[in-house]
Amino acid sequence: MAATQDAKGKGEGGDQNFDYMFKLLIIGNSSVGKTSFLFRYADDAFTSAFVSTVGIDFKVKTVYKNDKRIKLQIWDTAGQERYRTITTAYYRGAMGFILMYDITNEESFGAVQDWSTQIKTYSWDNAQVVLAGNKCDMEEERVVSVDSGRLLAEQLGFEFFETSAKDNINVKQTFERLVDLICDKMSESLDTDPAVTTGAPTAKLTDSAPPLQQPGCNC
Amino acid sequence: MDGKMNTIVRLCEVCWLSSIRTQEYLLFKDPEDKFHPSPDVLTQSVGLNITDTFNCTAMTPEQRILLGADWVWAVLEKNTKNPRIQIAVQVLHLPDKETVEENRVPSDACSESVQIAQKESSNKNIHERIVDFCASIGKDCYTLFLFMGKKNDKGNIYGVLSNNFEAAIGKCNKIDRAFIENFFKGSRYLHTPSGMMQAIIPN
Ligand SMILES: Nc1nc2c(ncn2[C@@H]2O[C@H](COP(=O)(O)OP(=O)(O)OP(=O)(O)O)[C@@H](O)[C@H]2O)c(=O)[nH]1
Ligand SMILES: [Mg+2]
Repeated sequence: MAATQDAKGKGEGGDQNFDYMFKLLIIGNSSVGKTSFLFRYADDAFTSAFVSTVGIDFKVKTVYKNDKRIKLQIWDTAGQERYRTITTAYYRGAMGFILMYDITNEESFGAVQDWSTQIKTYSWDNAQVVLAGNKCDMEEERVVSVDSGRLLAEQLGFEFFETSAKDNINVKQTFERLVDLICDKMSESLDTDPAVTTGAPTAKLTDSAPPLQQPGCNC
Repeated sequence: MDGKMNTIVRLCEVCWLSSIRTQEYLLFKDPEDKFHPSPDVLTQSVGLNITDTFNCTAMTPEQRILLGADWVWAVLEKNTKNPRIQIAVQVLHLPDKETVEENRVPSDACSESVQIAQKESSNKNIHERIVDFCASIGKDCYTLFLFMGKKNDKGNIYGVLSNNFEAAIGKCNKIDRAFIENFFKGSRYLHTPSGMMQAIIPN
């Protein structure tokens, strides 16, 4: 991982100062809680009002790991079918996915397989995935057991958490685990592929998303 | 402040603004009084989830750049609450001297994420982006370019609505006032607000 240190945007002013940029996507059926999950993580807030996302949106958050600043570009996709063309266009170059279902909604769980196929179809092979069974605060309305969630994750080769955006359960952990997985994958590919240690490893990892060229704000 | 609440507050402001604007527009532009909007209908069609059939979603600053839309009206299916018809609105303010609206940035959102959004969509201008966005959804998603008129002539609001701008954009890749006015010349494309609603909303 140390070898990627050169490809960074240091010294250009506050916000550009980071060691890595990871592009992450949150996907899953409409109303499972993707936007709420991101709001909880980025702004530590929750509202019970439902405003279904139009198309796509994103937020930026910086995290620290082993003294490295990692900038997360977190893309919040709309779950409704009509936006599929626009959302899948953003899969390319994503390094990690949070695939979410709602433990009180059988249909959303049934769709996990399809979402997983979408990832395979539209993203690159090394993308890491965490399966999140959201709304675990609603125990009385639960229709998907923890075990079936865990089993499906195993079958698909994904990590698994049950989460609650409302009660702030496993939100941070989900993102941290995803970041760990990406970092592991990164050092793995650096170990096995000596070429990247001399080239531009960040370019390899973020698929043409190097640090922003323009640090200043033009407005 | 709660980010989502913030969005909702902004949303209400926008909708409120647009309802005032729409009222002005209707008063000003519909002398035949064909539309007969009750105050109820007016709030519904521009409000936030006011009823089970209409809603209006204001875009976040990032979405405005990525998708080119300022807000999106939707007629919802009763059962599923999925949009049946959508109108993505891009507001174009006409200053006294014309300036191109490209790469405008909402003044409250000059942030890092806005820069990223701009970078992400730098290969298209903002008009092309909204047309692309609507085309990616399909024919039940319309683009409305809404001209708010000149600063000193607020009543002068007009717009052009189509679900097929992508056909025109190939020929003339810049959408500006001249482009819009071209549409007005073909009467087929000219709609009063009532005509517009009647034309696209099935019973
Ligand atoms: N009880 C509970 N409700 C939640 C939780 N997360 C989200 N919700 C609620 O579920 C509804 C849908 O949440 P959103 O985050 O908007 O859903 P989404 O997945 O972004 O939906 P789309 O944008 O349509 O794809 C909202 O009313 C939220 O308040 C949770 O952890 N627990
Ligand atoms: Mg959402």
